Amino acid sequence: MKKVNVVIVDDSAFQIALLRDILTEGGFNVVGEASSLEETIEVVTNTKPDLVTMDMTIPGTDGFECTREIHKIDSNIKVVVVSSMMDDEIVKKARKTHVSGYAQKPVDAEELTLLINRVMADEELFSELDSLYSSIFKQALLDVINRTTKTVPEITNESNVNVEKNIEGISIIMGVIGKYSGRAIFDMSFETASNLAKALLKRDPKNNDEILNVMSELSNMAAGNACSMINKKNKLFGLRVAPPTTFHGESISISKAELEAIYSAVAKTQFGDLSMSIGFGRGEGEWMSII
Amino acid sequence: MDVNYINPILSSFANVLPQLGLANVEKKGISLKGKFIESPGVVIIVGIVGDIKGNVIYGITIDDAKKIASAMMMGMPVNEFDELAQSAISELTNMLTANVATNFSNDNIIINISTPTLIHGKFTANAIADKVVCIEMDVNGMTIEVNISMEKNTI
Repeated sequence: MKKVNVVIVDDSAFQIALLRDILTEGGFNVVGEASSLEETIEVVTNTKPDLVTMDMTIPGTDGFECTREIHKIDSNIKVVVVSSMMDDEIVKKARKTHVSGYAQKPVDAEELTLLINRVMADEELFSELDSLYSSIFKQALLDVINRTTKTVPEITNESNVNVEKNIEGISIIMGVIGKYSGRAIFDMSFETASNLAKALLKRDPKNNDEILNVMSELSNMAAGNACSMINKKNKLFGLRVAPPTTFHGESISISKAELEAIYSAVAKTQFGDLSMSIGFGRGEGEWMSII
Repeated sequence: MDVNYINPILSSFANVLPQLGLANVEKKGISLKGKFIESPGVVIIVGIVGDIKGNVIYGITIDDAKKIASAMMMGMPVNEFDELAQSAISELTNMLTANVATNFSNDNIIINISTPTLIHGKFTANAIADKVVCIEMDVNGMTIEVNISMEKNTI
């Protein structure tokens, strides 16, 4: 990734010196600084930075007015607010003013660096996720089945086609939230679920509810482990899994996803087939703050 | 389950639906359900992670889903609950839940939402929470069920 050019807007010379150190050490290129609206317009016009760190309290103006002026110059310039003030109203206004992130002073060097990297993460990052997630989810599912049942399933029918899924049996759906959001779906027949539950519990399952619980937990482990592995590869992803919702019935049709990356596969286990479908979309990503 | 989770949802309906040409929004009732939710035909799940974690599980009948999709598409007739109609309903729940997230942020509760997943057919959904609050909303004579399965995130 190319070096990120940053302009610092702050009315305090001390804060500018501090931020300049943090940013330089974090690997960013500090190309300018400003302490008023006029200076901000001038410096941003001349240096064309990728990102501006913005203080809120600036004599004669404020961080929001400066941000609007910066976006008039170039709407692609990202603004990260770095301010000691932080309350609901400011955060709400910041979102409305198309600020990309928020850090509260005194800032932690590592956190600010991470925040800026996340804000700047672009196309490159999505391609990275796209190249990683399918093999990682596959690995996570294999590991979970292997560790819980001591059997080795075989992965077949791998595909990247986005279609409606029709299931008879059980389906577990989990939302995935982070830099990119998406979903993870695991499904299987009642028979497979019941066989798997029996193997995991080492006894006959008491009732359907218990089978559903086992499947939900198994899916949660696979998705959770996969997301942790992806986050380990690159912590900018910051993926988290929402709690699973389990569906069971004679006809479950899961609508085609509005997602840009789709991967599905079937794990052939000695208990029956278990299929998995994972997808991610570019979306707006999450609002980033290190408050 | 906290009753404070209800108001952000009511305001979201009041904010979002009139913008889509569905002006008559009323609360029909609030009830406490067990973890099982019977599908009325169409169910949409939106995951939540942040200060609160859980899922918002929307339920609509196929007929009402078609009517709502039609209203969202400026009255274009919707005879089948096809891909376009499904996409409209998914988008509706995305807007509603995003608005809920904004309403929560006004109370300093920060949450992020997942992409919605729409499921239709004959099935039962099983929420992670033991008790689910169900808010029934009347929207121009059509019913949208909002099942809330959320809890404070302690980690």
